[in-house]
Amino acid sequence: MKRSTLYPMLLYPMLVALVLCAAPPLISAAKIGATAPDFTGTASTGKTFHLSDYRGKYVVLEWHNNGCPFVRKQYNSGNMQRLQKQWTSQGVVWFTILSSAPGKQGYATAQEENDYLAKTQAAPTAALLDPTGEIGHLYDAKTSPQMIVINPQGIVIYDGAIDDKPTTDLNDVAGATNYVSLALQQAMAGKPVETSATRPYGCSVKYADATH
Amino acid sequence: MRNALRDGLCIETKMQGRSTSSVFYRALTCGAALLLCMASAHAEGTPIPHGTLELIARNQWIAAGHTLDLGLRFQLEKGWHIYWINPGDSGGPPRVEWQLPAGLAAGSIEWPAPRRLETGSIVDYGYEDRVLLIVPLHAAASLAAQQPVRLGAEVKLLVCSREMCIPGKAELSLTLPIKSQPPAADAQNLDARNHDARNHDARNHDARNDELFTATRRALPHPAPGNWRFSVADANDSFVLSANLGHRITQAVFFPLAESQIENAAPQKLLSVATGFRLTLRKSDRLLKPIARLKGVLVLSAEGSYLMDVPLSKPGAARSKAATVLESTQ
Repeated sequence: MKRSTLYPMLLYPMLVALVLCAAPPLISAAKIGATAPDFTGTASTGKTFHLSDYRGKYVVLEWHNNGCPFVRKQYNSGNMQRLQKQWTSQGVVWFTILSSAPGKQGYATAQEENDYLAKTQAAPTAALLDPTGEIGHLYDAKTSPQMIVINPQGIVIYDGAIDDKPTTDLNDVAGATNYVSLALQQAMAGKPVETSATRPYGCSVKYADATH
Repeated sequence: MRNALRDGLCIETKMQGRSTSSVFYRALTCGAALLLCMASAHAEGTPIPHGTLELIARNQWIAAGHTLDLGLRFQLEKGWHIYWINPGDSGGPPRVEWQLPAGLAAGSIEWPAPRRLETGSIVDYGYEDRVLLIVPLHAAASLAAQQPVRLGAEVKLLVCSREMCIPGKAELSLTLPIKSQPPAADAQNLDARNHDARNHDARNHDARNDELFTATRRALPHPAPGNWRFSVADANDSFVLSANLGHRITQAVFFPLAESQIENAAPQKLLSVATGFRLTLRKSDRLLKPIARLKGVLVLSAEGSYLMDVPLSKPGAARSKAATVLESTQ
């Protein structure tokens, strides 16, 4: 009897230790060719989205900051909205992610973001509010508009800039090579993605100040 | 806009002066306001977001067949920055479009060594406070002496703080005479003696500009001395830059010229050795193809900044001489 009561007392700390040791490292940034880390995000509509629910579909992640001149170039020219419509109409899931902390450029409340989406006629699947920067850090997102493309197997096939013109000039949208479209076209045609990593030009993601 | 604001402020200050009853205070306030307005009118640049920008020249003339240093002088408010040619993780460098008369051609910006601007997991390369970006202006030998010509520059830039980024645009211009050859020193002195007191201020201003250009040029990254030896080894997830300078180095920072070669935010691990140093630079996750050369600027705090263009040692091949020397001296 005495032994059996002792067991759970020893077992629990041992179990806890085992789980702690076996747990994967907390920071596992997205790597090209590796599985995209799962996340749960709350949209500006209040709906919850899990990345893992979209296995079998292409997923685009777009880091957003509505005040960033590089982002404004894409939205004021209508290019980002065009891309969102073009690809979601072909079954691609498109998440716009707002990782700005409260008080910083690009932060928006749910209402403000809904107003912005309506005003700009943006058409992502959802705009996910990430004021703690959890999703941003999970993907090591450095800039807005940084773009990530995930294939139906859940593998990151593109991570980087939206196009090859790292400027804030509206006139540069027309002649630019769009890396997101290129990656989706090539992958959908069963070809390898030629350009799978570029420098994600833009404004730095305005994360909450580090507390650690 | 800032000029209008300043003028408005001047008028307002003067009007307040008039409303005071005491003649003495009125005179004092008016005088102070006038002085303030005059002072601010001098050395005032074109407003850019959270700062000013001014186009200046080293000399107040252009000499046919010679090169004149022009400069974009930035002054930024505390907490705001602009970017180096490789901005690092985010941002972008200023871009200039010149409007120049025939026979004049602007070269590229001569970038001073930048600073690491760190915000958590994001590291940018840029400038805070004040910086002069020198652009050489080449004048054709065939240029005839003529009346002053207008040099125009449209600068598009991004000014950022930790919290936000603001795009800016500035239309700058400078009007300078063209001479068939540089004025001789004697002639300049003679000129100087013949000028009145107001031009004396202008000459002082020129001298200050000259000092600024000289100091900026001196601090620009230079080619490393010929007897210094560098090598770069590919070590799995890092590049190891080894330097043999013949003396110990305790501080070194490398700024890559090409984007996506090294992880900007990764700490650069320095190993100080008797003949130099070894610096470990983590490769960028985005570097998917091997590189042939590592190019950038090396800043040694005690001795200045140097242009680096070092071929990568062949993997598996014997260590380069510099690396071997380093090894043996540790």
